[in-house]
Amino acid sequence: MNLNPFWSMSTNTSRKQRSDSEEQGGPEEQRASPARPPFGKKQLPAIPSNAAPITKPASTATLAQSANGTHASYGPFYLEYSLLAEFTLVIKQKLPGIYVQPSYKSALMWFGVIFIRHGLYQDGVFKFTVYIPDNYPDGECPRVVFDIPVFHPLVDPVSGELDVRRAFTKWRRNHNHIWQVLMYARTVFYKINTMEPLNPEAAVLYERDVQLFKSKVVDSVKLCNSHLFDQPKIDDPYAISFSPWNPAVHDEAKQRMFTYKRRPEDHHKGMQVLGLSWVRPGSTQPFSKDDNAPQS
Amino acid sequence: MSWLSRLNPRAPGSRAGRSAAPSGPCTADPETCLMVFENHWRQVSWVLEQREPSSSSDDLTAVRNHTDQMLCLLAEERLGEGSEGSPNMGPILELVVTDNILEHLVQWHLRRGLDSESQGALLKLFEMLIGQSQQPLLQHRAVLQPLLGLLGACADPQLGCPPVLENSLVLLLNQVCVSMARQPMVLEMLFRSTPAQQGPTNLLIFSLLVPFIHRDGAIGQQARDALLLVMAASASHEAVARYITENSYFCPVLATGLSALYSSLPRKIEVRGDDWHALRREDWMGVSSLVLFMNSLEFCNAVVQVAHPLVRSQLLDYLHNGFLVPVMSPALHKSSVDEMIASTAYLDLFLRSVTETALLKTFLRFLLLHHHDNDTILDTLLTRISSNSRLCMVSLSLFRTLLSLNCEDLMLQLVLRYLLPCTHVMLSQRRAVRETDLYGKSADKFLSLIPECCRLSTVPPGEREDDTVFWGKVLNSPSTESPVQPRPSTPSRLALFIRQQSSGGGSGGVVPSTPTSTEPAPSSPRGSGPPSSHPMSPDSPMHQQQVSIDCLDWESGYLEYLHDARRGIELCSWACQNWSAPYDGENPSPNMAPSPPPPPTSNPSLTVFPEHFSFQHSGSSNSPPGQQRAAIVAAARSEWSSSERDSGEWDVTIGKNNCISLTPRSKKRSLQREELPPKPMPPLLPAPSSSFSTSLSASNTPSSSVPHLPASAFTVTHQAMLNGMTGQGDSCSDSQDRGMEVKKVKRELGEQHHLDENSNQNDPPQPMHNDDNGDISDEKPLCPKQIHNLSHCSLPLSDISMPSSDGSQRCSVPSSLPDTNLKDQGLQSVERLIEELLEQAPGDHQLSGDSNGQGISIEAFTQELRELEDRMRERSRAARQPEETAGVPPSAARQVDEPTPSSPLDSELAGTRVSTKAKAESSVMGLSSPARPLGQPASQPYIGPFMVVLFAKLENMLQNSLYVNVLLTGIVAQLACYPQPLLRSFLLNTNMVFQPSVKSLIQVLGSVKNRIEAFAASHEDFPAMLRKAQRYLAARGKVDWSDSPVAVPPLRRSDSLVKSRKPSLGDLILRHTNSPTRARHAAQLALAHVRDGGQSLHSALFRGGPGSGGGVMGLEKQAEALRIKNAVYCAVIFCEFLKELAALAQEHAVSLPFPQSQGAEE
Repeated sequence: MNLNPFWSMSTNTSRKQRSDSEEQGGPEEQRASPARPPFGKKQLPAIPSNAAPITKPASTATLAQSANGTHASYGPFYLEYSLLAEFTLVIKQKLPGIYVQPSYKSALMWFGVIFIRHGLYQDGVFKFTVYIPDNYPDGECPRVVFDIPVFHPLVDPVSGELDVRRAFTKWRRNHNHIWQVLMYARTVFYKINTMEPLNPEAAVLYERDVQLFKSKVVDSVKLCNSHLFDQPKIDDPYAISFSPWNPAVHDEAKQRMFTYKRRPEDHHKGMQVLGLSWVRPGSTQPFSKDDNAPQS
Repeated sequence: MSWLSRLNPRAPGSRAGRSAAPSGPCTADPETCLMVFENHWRQVSWVLEQREPSSSSDDLTAVRNHTDQMLCLLAEERLGEGSEGSPNMGPILELVVTDNILEHLVQWHLRRGLDSESQGALLKLFEMLIGQSQQPLLQHRAVLQPLLGLLGACADPQLGCPPVLENSLVLLLNQVCVSMARQPMVLEMLFRSTPAQQGPTNLLIFSLLVPFIHRDGAIGQQARDALLLVMAASASHEAVARYITENSYFCPVLATGLSALYSSLPRKIEVRGDDWHALRREDWMGVSSLVLFMNSLEFCNAVVQVAHPLVRSQLLDYLHNGFLVPVMSPALHKSSVDEMIASTAYLDLFLRSVTETALLKTFLRFLLLHHHDNDTILDTLLTRISSNSRLCMVSLSLFRTLLSLNCEDLMLQLVLRYLLPCTHVMLSQRRAVRETDLYGKSADKFLSLIPECCRLSTVPPGEREDDTVFWGKVLNSPSTESPVQPRPSTPSRLALFIRQQSSGGGSGGVVPSTPTSTEPAPSSPRGSGPPSSHPMSPDSPMHQQQVSIDCLDWESGYLEYLHDARRGIELCSWACQNWSAPYDGENPSPNMAPSPPPPPTSNPSLTVFPEHFSFQHSGSSNSPPGQQRAAIVAAARSEWSSSERDSGEWDVTIGKNNCISLTPRSKKRSLQREELPPKPMPPLLPAPSSSFSTSLSASNTPSSSVPHLPASAFTVTHQAMLNGMTGQGDSCSDSQDRGMEVKKVKRELGEQHHLDENSNQNDPPQPMHNDDNGDISDEKPLCPKQIHNLSHCSLPLSDISMPSSDGSQRCSVPSSLPDTNLKDQGLQSVERLIEELLEQAPGDHQLSGDSNGQGISIEAFTQELRELEDRMRERSRAARQPEETAGVPPSAARQVDEPTPSSPLDSELAGTRVSTKAKAESSVMGLSSPARPLGQPASQPYIGPFMVVLFAKLENMLQNSLYVNVLLTGIVAQLACYPQPLLRSFLLNTNMVFQPSVKSLIQVLGSVKNRIEAFAASHEDFPAMLRKAQRYLAARGKVDWSDSPVAVPPLRRSDSLVKSRKPSLGDLILRHTNSPTRARHAAQLALAHVRDGGQSLHSALFRGGPGSGGGVMGLEKQAEALRIKNAVYCAVIFCEFLKELAALAQEHAVSLPFPQSQGAEE
């Protein structure tokens, strides 16, 4: 997919906040991480309870035809919108420590960064790229490739690719979503799995000599972090890049980030009035709210 | 006057320069001024000190002159230099205060006895002083006290202010209030320092102003402005607020004044165009009574905005109990359609104009909670959507306004409470309520409903440069796989009409016609397009590159729909963030939700046209009470009781659409009906028992099928035929009206209950002829389905004039005659009728009230069409059943006709459909669909009357007029913007499995699609017509795009406050006020043009075609043309609507919710 103004248009809103937070999150993380106190006991942040697939498998067949069917002309819209919808789901999931941003050039490529906040890989900041097959959602599961191969049993030491497929042996539309892949990419750093490793050395070390494994991990984390400010590997306007904290730039951005309130796209101040409601929460009766409640 | 004119030379800054900077005049040094002032004062005091107040006019003149000069000096005096920057009084003011000069002056005048001239002069003088003074004056008792003394003299306890002084008084009061607003302490002083003799009404200024609240013109405006200032100043002043609420008549005067003003509004709105459906500012600016009302309403709005909570709540109470309930509610329930239209349009206007939340709440409370004869106002209003007249359009417009409020309470009542229990969804599907259309499945489904016959896209390459980026390779594939048949554009009626339009544009602008070579090149009205290269491409910046308008926007518009959908959803979900619950199927819990009200036991639409029941006053006595159906009773009750209450006198009126209505006679009511002479009742009810229907049926017999039946004879039939904008025949468009009619007739006769056998194959056999008890029907809720069934037999029912035994016998006549047979007969009759009608056609135009011959109004036309059909039906009936009806009026036999699902004309037009589908389709058509089938237990899921009525109307799209369809699809799209999963899934999730009794939007659309395809199949030139319709709408849109306002004011913004808005065409039919898409916009503008240009589409269509000679075009041709036109436009709108829905489904999947009540903190 080549340069697509439409795509950029449609991501604009979300981009506004995402990109802010990313630019912001990086340096801040950078700065804060040495002193970061552990979250109480070291434990995985809870996985959202609704992580289980919500949808039911019933409706797999019908869509297949749409690609070739009478409405083929709308096909690109479906793909773009499916990916955009996936992205929206990611945002809604609020995955801890994970940020992604679709590429400017192709909706099938997402840039991401993951912050590991505790555990063996604590303080690790790993940039990665998600590659989504172009026959999504009917193809394989998306691939996740770290910019720098992290020392990890499930990460290919050469290509940096994470073994995602083991978790999504078959990619099932409606069941599987990209946020789950991201979630998985995060989990592997907290819960080490050495089965059928892509990096046998790491797997063996983890089994046999945890201390050495740990030190190698620390080295790997350091290596990754030392390249944090490198130019993005892929040249793309939306690629995630880090820069040292520069108060002149970042303070203001941070300020904006904290005060940011999303509004409708072409929302003019004072133009749109909020909706009306006099329904008391918990009630389904109109005008059940206390009359004395302040009216906007 | 002389005072002021004499003032002027010395005070150049007086009137005109009042607001100018206090620079020029007072260049003289303060001491000199003081000396001059003292000099004047000496001379005045000499006069004043005379014992006997002299009556000499010399004295008066002298005093006046000196006072005049003195006050000018005082007004011009600047603040003195005070210590530490706090300014002191100037020396003159100081003198005035210490010597109490003004008090002396005023007292002298009062002692002398004030004639109105010197009183007026004093008022003006004070007004000048207060308005122009360079320093604050009113805070000094020495100024305030004499002022109040003067004002007190103006307030005659009995007579009020003498008329000649009103202007001066109000102006002075206004000035006082202005300076009070600047110096809040003045209010306090005013409040305290009132002379004791004023008694309880101690805020004199206030009580002087109140009488002027509703005054016309500048004086009223000044008074309202002044009062508003008092309100604002007293907002934080509890004592004053208390005084206003407890001791003044402010609130009651304001509220009841509205009632008075409302009662003087026109009861009938002169309708200028076929598309008219809402009052725009331009509409009412010329209607003085409406302007007056709107001014006062605006004032109420402002008071609510600024006043102290005490005042506000009192005012709102009075508005509710003193205006809405006693005045607005009966007005909305008037029995004549004209009045309903007017009151609905007024209500719509009011709602659009009110901006204050609290005031809106009062209105909404009234709409949602106030019961008028058992139904809430809201329920009554929504049923009117099902009518076919302009009432439908006005009602749609009202609901568009309501929906745009994004009000939770409203949505709860309208839709959500019916969806809350989730009973409409299969149990297994409940979880799916929250799903969004992740992979475009629903969107695909919607798009797949675009009829094949409408996919005629020719895409001139290069025309879509900008689009190809998005559409990529896939884009072009459809155009290659479905090559367009470049049919030679036969000069169809549409072509004629398009051509006509291009030359016949009125003030609203000329419509460029399409660039077909056969048609004259239009000149774009505003801005000359680049004439050399493409003479006909309108000069719109957005469309410079068009090579051909053909199909330009009709395939590529999807992006814009996406954009609009995004915007609509965003705005809507932003607005909904302060709702109390997400309505996602879990919160509020389905189990906790109170069960929604069951479907009405009587069809709500019955109450829509209460005039249907007007006959009951005489007719009901004829029917044995025991045989009256409960449902009908219930439905009729409202009209009964309400009308009976009013007065004993009755006006019998024949409305514009020939509905007969009985209205309680009251003083002003009959004004606008005068054009239509009231018909006395007797002719309609010639004999006590069933003769009414006899006359009715007689009017329908072939022998009497003359277009101009005596009004009294055919009114009732007409009624069924008329209302509509929709030209379609019996089974669809006016099924409700007919249903009602049937009921009415039934109710009168009470014995036979005919239900159409044919229209419900899907249901268990209906009780065809209720026995005398009518028990079956009695128990059953009279749901729309039933109405639908009834509708088929509406006319036949007139045979009730026969002995009842006969009736039942006839009912059992095998209902289904071979369709072909029917058709043949129908066609024959058509021809015969055509001949007849042709002879009389010209005269018919009078019906439209279009005496100037400018065009045939759509209503009139529809009316004619219906007439035509009716007569044809009669013919065929009569032809088929001579033997049966031997002893009875021929028309009585019509009942047997029941199986005819649609008129012969209809079948001719859509032959294939009729011949094949009759049965199956008939149950789908008309009102039936979303309603629950007859006889189902009441626990069946019911999606609420609003959805039912919308879906029913939607299903009828093919017969609806363009205008109705534009409004209607707009409302559905508006609903589909709501982010609440319950509503979203109900409308947009095409995979959702509903309970069998609940019809889904996609089903409704599917049936529309089938009808369009059937229609297209029966019309060879459909593609050509479609293209022309598209081109026409697109071209129209472009013309007006170039100068349509960039920012359309949002709905909530008070229309009335937007000054001098240019009559923007786009506002007219605007469905998405803020997001006009090209296609839709085009349609809207087309409508606007029709209206503004004074030349209707229809007149263009039906007059002046080459074949039509001197405008004598056969009625039947017009009928057909209208039908075709509706259908073709429907096809266009339908396709656009599908795209719009698809876009909405897609955008919902990618929209991020706003965190709840994020905006509330702001």
